Amino acid sequence: MEEGERVVKIQKDTEEVEHKQQEIWSWGAGTDGQLGTGKLEDEHTPQFLINLSNSISSFGHISLLSCGGAHVIALTSDGKVLSWGRGASGQLGHGEKLDFKLDFCFVLFFCHQKLTPPDSGCLFTCGDGSFGQLGHGDYHSCSSPMEVLFFNSKHVEQVACGMRHTLVLSKGNIEAYLCWLSLLVAGNTGEKVYGFGSGKRGQLGVSEDKIKSLSFPEPCSGIQGAEVVAVFANGDQSAALSADGCLYTWGRGFSSNSNTCIPQSLPSTLYFKQAALGWNHALILTSEDEVFMLGGSNHGVLSEPQKTIHLHNVSGKSNFSKVTGLGEKKVVQIAAGAEHSAIVTGQLENGQIYSWGWGEHGQLGLGGINDHTVPQLVMAEDNSMISKVYCGSGFTFALRQSLDC
Amino acid sequence: MSYDDVEIEDMEWNEELQAYTYPCPCGDLFQITKEDLRLGEEIARCPSCSLYLTVIYNLEDFADNSKQNTNFQHSKQQLISVA
Repeated sequence: MEEGERVVKIQKDTEEVEHKQQEIWSWGAGTDGQLGTGKLEDEHTPQFLINLSNSISSFGHISLLSCGGAHVIALTSDGKVLSWGRGASGQLGHGEKLDFKLDFCFVLFFCHQKLTPPDSGCLFTCGDGSFGQLGHGDYHSCSSPMEVLFFNSKHVEQVACGMRHTLVLSKGNIEAYLCWLSLLVAGNTGEKVYGFGSGKRGQLGVSEDKIKSLSFPEPCSGIQGAEVVAVFANGDQSAALSADGCLYTWGRGFSSNSNTCIPQSLPSTLYFKQAALGWNHALILTSEDEVFMLGGSNHGVLSEPQKTIHLHNVSGKSNFSKVTGLGEKKVVQIAAGAEHSAIVTGQLENGQIYSWGWGEHGQLGLGGINDHTVPQLVMAEDNSMISKVYCGSGFTFALRQSLDC
Repeated sequence: MSYDDVEIEDMEWNEELQAYTYPCPCGDLFQITKEDLRLGEEIARCPSCSLYLTVIYNLEDFADNSKQNTNFQHSKQQLISVA
């Protein structure tokens, strides 16, 4: 270990992992300040966010990033929350309906919260609530994180946000709860998926009947039997992964067919361990570290519509096929924006990013604005040590280990 | 080619922009004004990129009220033109 190098040891599951100083990079659509560069411009090549990286390093490192339409929320290793980008709906959680385009700001609400073990597993939401997607039982927007009281007696494991809806994975206790249809007693203690917000495309998965919207969480039907380990949402799409490697999807769907109102299992002998949703495509990672795409007949041809004719699946069913062009590379992580894809291959010092799909805003990070239908290596000259990639609607973030050693 | 077809009911009225809006995959908003709709315009554009939406709506819902009244005049009235 050389002098001057900062090493942060964190506990990751049962392993201890050493993290060198973390670098944060971003590229893509940037006119709302979502890239964190301090400028309101798109970037077509990866930008090293030196200010953000240095500031965060004094608080540890980023353990999780979540990218929305034009804003980003970051969780640091010591439990602090930062946000930046568009904030006109209150989505930054700073207490005002203001953008934070030229800088980033701590969400002070969470700095002051002491969430001790009994309190953990609570869900807080803020931002646009016009479709009931905040889950507070009304259609109001909120500019500070407000607790979703429905989950007070439950333990929230995960939350996923689509364009106008929210999915929650939680562990419930044996209890009685009142939903807007009837009084029910929850008999099982297993994981349950709940949906709220806009339901016009079936993305809530709670009923065969058409639902315009829900402002209060309702359980998704059709997957109670499965042990759900992860939920995903983007656009009007919803998905869940079960412990036995099945993928369930519902919502608008990935073909020209009509909406699916109840979770449907994707027929396959493959074991799926990770998923990432776009607005019209999904990436799915198998246990063999291969990535498949569901839908995406327009993926990489948005700027050249005449090419769509050749890719469209005429049977009407969603296209499901392995992503080509990666050779034998093992894919370790997948991410999807609205209309682009990004993956990480290899681990630690071998981590590299490939991206493809819509490129008009530079979200592919390849230096141009062309679309690509096949994965392209990003940062080709200096391309390793990538640990994580995240996608917002039209932009991409990457975390990388510092090369200083 | 239109990115998507969206019903006007699914668009949100934005007071600041004075337009109906719908999220664009780039992160900005597709926009169409009431004036556009009154003129029978179907395209909602994104100020940041080349994508656009086709808006589905009934023209009658946005037609000019004064033009509607003219059709149902029973009494003789002189139309006064204002310079």
